[in-house]
Amino acid sequence: MPTIKSVVISCAGIGSRLGLGQTKALVKINGRSLISWQLELFKEVPDVRVVVGFQANDVIEEVLKYRKDVIFVFNHRYFETNTGASFYLGARHAYDYVLEWDGDLLVHPDDVKMILDTEGEFICYGDISSENTVFVKTDSEGRVLSFSRKEGDYEWTGPACMARKNIHYSSQHVFNMLEPYLPMKGIKVRAYDIDTYDDYIRVCELVKDWKL
Amino acid sequence: MKILFDLDGTVTAAETLPIISRHFSVEKEIEKLTKETVNGNIPFIESFIRRVNMLGHLPVSEVSALLSEVSLYPKISDFIRAHRDICVIVTGNLDCWCKSLGEKIGCLGYYSEAEVEDNKVVKIKSILRKERIVDMYKSLGEEVVFVGDGNNDLEAMRQADISIAAGLTHYPAKSLYSLSDYMVFSEEALCRQLNQLL
Repeated sequence: MPTIKSVVISCAGIGSRLGLGQTKALVKINGRSLISWQLELFKEVPDVRVVVGFQANDVIEEVLKYRKDVIFVFNHRYFETNTGASFYLGARHAYDYVLEWDGDLLVHPDDVKMILDTEGEFICYGDISSENTVFVKTDSEGRVLSFSRKEGDYEWTGPACMARKNIHYSSQHVFNMLEPYLPMKGIKVRAYDIDTYDDYIRVCELVKDWKL
Repeated sequence: MKILFDLDGTVTAAETLPIISRHFSVEKEIEKLTKETVNGNIPFIESFIRRVNMLGHLPVSEVSALLSEVSLYPKISDFIRAHRDICVIVTGNLDCWCKSLGEKIGCLGYYSEAEVEDNKVVKIKSILRKERIVDMYKSLGEEVVFVGDGNNDLEAMRQADISIAAGLTHYPAKSLYSLSDYMVFSEEALCRQLNQLL
């Protein structure tokens, strides 16, 4: 069993920037939904919690095709809030350490295994691949010192693991919730957000060689 | 903390009404009424009264014995037994019909009440409003968790501090989607969530 017992996958958003007219969890990546990729990567995790909002019923039905023991968590205010609120809601009754995972994020399977076996709190980041992003500044040991909209060494991609007691409500983004706890342990991963249609095309290409 | 459970299809592994109607061969009438109620064409209270009118003449002891044989979800039953001081059954079903079943579950229960004469229901004395039980515990300072699946759980779940829609026997009523905190579809998930709430 992996070290991390609780994973919160935030799938409440409306996916407006992607422009495919549906929440990102349902977007098909090479024939299978994004959420099904994530569920496959987390099949050994005992407590998978999927935060739902927009198209909740469709997401629930899709998840149940792959796994019955998921706990669905509702973010009823998904339109006015960001991923911070979904993470808080998903984590508030989870196990002691909770891995935050955006519903639009795919991470290389080898890196996922490494993440799930990492103890304590940490933040994951990747190589900078887009301009309009949140950057991460790190020290020589890879610890995360700060987040910035202007510049940094890496791109904040997530996921992040937090002790449940340190997760407080925020209607903002997850990185805003992490800021009070910096510096934090950092881990570089091969992570890919699907924010725009270009991201979507890129990820479809990347995952062709992935073995789950 | 108090954890309030709906009974039918949440703790029992099947809805009890079809079991009664099948046993006494009044399936068609009950099925029609149930369908109309589920579709929202007949309010719950009216439906309940009409249901008791249809079934009230049946021997109470036989109904009670029949319901005591209904299967329970094993993991949920174990959870209730292990935490009987905080678990409570809250159902609109009649106390006289559910007496033996309630004893088998083994925790406190709140039911609708009936007057029984000659082993038959002759009058409904009270119809349980589940939200009143939630309010009562909240007024005593308890944090209230409500686990339900049907439209008749809606107000109780709205009032509860934490509401869990359970899709164990059938999909939770769509009306619950807009107010539930959690939704689960397996005993494992429900018990995990309940243990994490303790």
